[in-house]
Amino acid sequence: MNDKLNQILQKQQKQIEEPQKKEDDVVQLVGFIIGQEEYAVPILSIQEIIKPIEYTRVPSVPNYILGVFNLRGSVIPLIDLRSKFKMDPSKVTEETRYIVMKGKDNTAGFVIDRLTEAIRIKSSRIGPPPETIHAEKGLVYGIGMRDENILTILKVEALLKRDF
Amino acid sequence: MEDIQEILEDFLVEAFELIEQLDQNLVELESNPDDLELLNSIFRVAHTIKGSSSFLNFNILTQLTHHMEDVLNKARHGDLKLTPEVMDVVLESIDLMKTLLHAIRDNGDDTSIGLDITDICRRLDVISNGEDVAEVIHQSAEETTAPVAADENADYSKLSDQEVEEEIERLLKMRKEEDRKRKEGHAKESAAPAPVAPTPSAAPSFAGLGDHDESEEAPVEKTTAKRNGGESNNAPAKKESASTMEQTIRVEVKRLDHLMNLIGELVLGKNRLLKIYDDVEERYEGEKFLEELNQVVSSISLVTTDLQIAVMKTRMLPIAKVFNKFPRMVRDLSRELGKQIELEISGEETELDKSIVEEIGDPLVHIIRNSCDHGIEDAASRRAKGKPEMGLIQLKAYNEGNHIVIEITDDGKGLDADLLRSKAIEKGMISEREADAMSDKEAFSLIFRPSLSTAKVVTNVSGRGVGMDVVKTNIEKLNGIIDVDSELGRGTVIKLKIPLTLAIIQALLVGAQEEYYAIPLASVLETVRIPLDEIYTIEGKNVLRLRDEVLSLVRLSDIFGVKQVYEGGEHTYVVVIGLAESKLGVVVDTLVGQEEIVIKSLGDYLQGIEGIAGATIRGDGRVTLIVDVAALMNLAKGITVDIRATAETTVKTKSVPSDYVVLAVDDSAMDRNIMKKSMEPIGVTVIEASNGQEALNMLKSAEYSIDAVLIDIEMPRMDGYTLAGEIRKYSKYKNLPLIAVTSRTSKSDRLRGVESGMSEYITKPYSPEYLESVVRKNIKL
Repeated sequence: MNDKLNQILQKQQKQIEEPQKKEDDVVQLVGFIIGQEEYAVPILSIQEIIKPIEYTRVPSVPNYILGVFNLRGSVIPLIDLRSKFKMDPSKVTEETRYIVMKGKDNTAGFVIDRLTEAIRIKSSRIGPPPETIHAEKGLVYGIGMRDENILTILKVEALLKRDF
Repeated sequence: MEDIQEILEDFLVEAFELIEQLDQNLVELESNPDDLELLNSIFRVAHTIKGSSSFLNFNILTQLTHHMEDVLNKARHGDLKLTPEVMDVVLESIDLMKTLLHAIRDNGDDTSIGLDITDICRRLDVISNGEDVAEVIHQSAEETTAPVAADENADYSKLSDQEVEEEIERLLKMRKEEDRKRKEGHAKESAAPAPVAPTPSAAPSFAGLGDHDESEEAPVEKTTAKRNGGESNNAPAKKESASTMEQTIRVEVKRLDHLMNLIGELVLGKNRLLKIYDDVEERYEGEKFLEELNQVVSSISLVTTDLQIAVMKTRMLPIAKVFNKFPRMVRDLSRELGKQIELEISGEETELDKSIVEEIGDPLVHIIRNSCDHGIEDAASRRAKGKPEMGLIQLKAYNEGNHIVIEITDDGKGLDADLLRSKAIEKGMISEREADAMSDKEAFSLIFRPSLSTAKVVTNVSGRGVGMDVVKTNIEKLNGIIDVDSELGRGTVIKLKIPLTLAIIQALLVGAQEEYYAIPLASVLETVRIPLDEIYTIEGKNVLRLRDEVLSLVRLSDIFGVKQVYEGGEHTYVVVIGLAESKLGVVVDTLVGQEEIVIKSLGDYLQGIEGIAGATIRGDGRVTLIVDVAALMNLAKGITVDIRATAETTVKTKSVPSDYVVLAVDDSAMDRNIMKKSMEPIGVTVIEASNGQEALNMLKSAEYSIDAVLIDIEMPRMDGYTLAGEIRKYSKYKNLPLIAVTSRTSKSDRLRGVESGMSEYITKPYSPEYLESVVRKNIKL
């Protein structure tokens, strides 16, 4: 009886220790589509995801900044990732969403074409960004390899940094 | 250790409050030397500070205040007459006391700044021993050890250096001897009544609710005696002070700021509620619950407004806080400049938001210095002009609506418009042509340009041409307006008009094409509606003749690059904005109205966009940008668009019938086909929508430029009446022909159609020719 109990206890102890190790290796992301490609950002940097709402244009800013919108009383900038990545503009569809991301000192909403899913990926499967990407230069954290496709993981702090 | 720290903080808060009042009292005392009450209160300040500082072991401060106390005590008992020379020394010693207190606040002790007080103490002693002060002062001025330059009269240089040196030596020795003896005696005395803690009751703290900077460091909530700041400097009768004492509480400014933010949110909520109520009222007219809703909405809006005012009031400080330092300043300046100047203050009880009180001090200092130095003439030339020798500067504050007006009037020589013009030309600021076109008033405002000074000599008071530029920038920062008026030889009046508070403001909402902007009402002078042909172009600039003024014009949509979606009519609206002393006409397409708005920042990401001061959230939940009037005026300079020419060219010309687009809205595909067929002979392009919502989206997307809409009344999702109402909400569709096509024939239906904004009403069944002719008529083909 005592042996058994010890075994169980040991097992529990192991379980407590192991997941931590595992979680260190796994990165949790939220995936979304812009244009043809799938991108992802760390789940913890996302404040919320909302359906498109009305926004107000702001003058004399680069064209990828669509304007500002009202998120429950806060005025938040809205950035179009399509035009930031120099893709052709598209219309707002039923699946368009605003992802509100929160950084150290900034919060901003980003327009994406469609959400995909929450993703868990081992950090060993994330490679460095390829050197060929121009428009997204500096914004890419790495490339995530998945069984069926690859993911471009974006750097949130870089996205939220004012670059004009 | 902690205890000491707490006591120290209390001491500093109290000491700063006390000396603020002290300056005021002392200057008053000079003109009113027999006022015992005043003298007593001044004596008590010195005494209190002495007591507290000796308890806290600030020896230098103790020594200084001790000497002051001696002098004041003598004066109090009538043994000493307070001549201006005596006052100079006393005031100087108070300056030193302030320096020491600042040092204590910053460094925690009074020794680290190494202030030498032996000189001033000696002079104080000389006074208290009743010797000829003037002489001693002259001697000590010779000694350059004094940390603050002593005021000096012209004749001391006649004494030979040798004599002075000897005299000083002799006096010094004697004083030191006496001093030491007396101090020993005193030390014994004051050691007896045990350590005296700084008790607030020892002397009433004067500066009312006043939280000035120093007190932020002491977030200790404690009650303190308060006296109404207003009455303090004009009434010699100080006896009622006991009866006007009020209970007050010290609160951290941060907490008030937080409260103010919350109120801001509440005001937004209130605006939103009002807007929703309007919508609901429209839709459910005559329903009983509306009455109840109305009551709730109005009571909430009333309470919110009251609450907002109440919280704003807690942040209000009497402007006396700023005004108090001016009597002393003018006194010092008049002695320095050798002029006789009297400062008359009124309205110092007028209250202003704390943040504004902090900003307003500097500009006022510059204006008053200017008045003293350049405005008021010296006694001789005043006499020659038949004016009283004593120059007069009036400082007046009063409320005017949501603004406070501060008026600085002097009866000096006034501004010379021609001199200003020629100086400005000389410096290359304006061309001669511009100068000729300038009115006198515009010329006066040249004094606010940097590096323009009419002073022939640069004194250490003013004349460098910096001060007034500072005034302008600071007042602009507060959204204030400056108005200068002057009469040569008679004097100058400078009026500053400043909003009462900064967080919640009144704004004029204007529309530029499809976008809305808020202009702070403080900067709006007037709005006018003008026909386009009154706009003239001079050297690529648009101008308007408004009464006897020529106003430059700029279109808001040109400044902010608003997309041109529709043409205006033959008339346009001009919002005349004024900031500091300049004016500009801003052409807008619509005037929405006046609204109370809460200023929100755009955040770090979008900070510092030129022309935008912030954003606000409107009643409908949309974000509206607030115009930065100062930046707008700058931006306007770079814009050269011929308003009249662009307004006259149409956005897009339509030549052939197929350029015209008619939208047919009907839930039945068959009906839509009949409409289409009927319009075939005209040759217009027909697009279709199966319900109101879809039609509205098509109109909103601006993909097509639609020339007419055929609307069925009964449709799912959104019916024809609602659709018409929604369409009419867009200013660009105000004149779009909306043709109702329906089987509802009753008179009330027709009436409703008219109410909702339909321009024509066709009943089913109709002949194709009839529809054709109605469409033709409406799109003018």
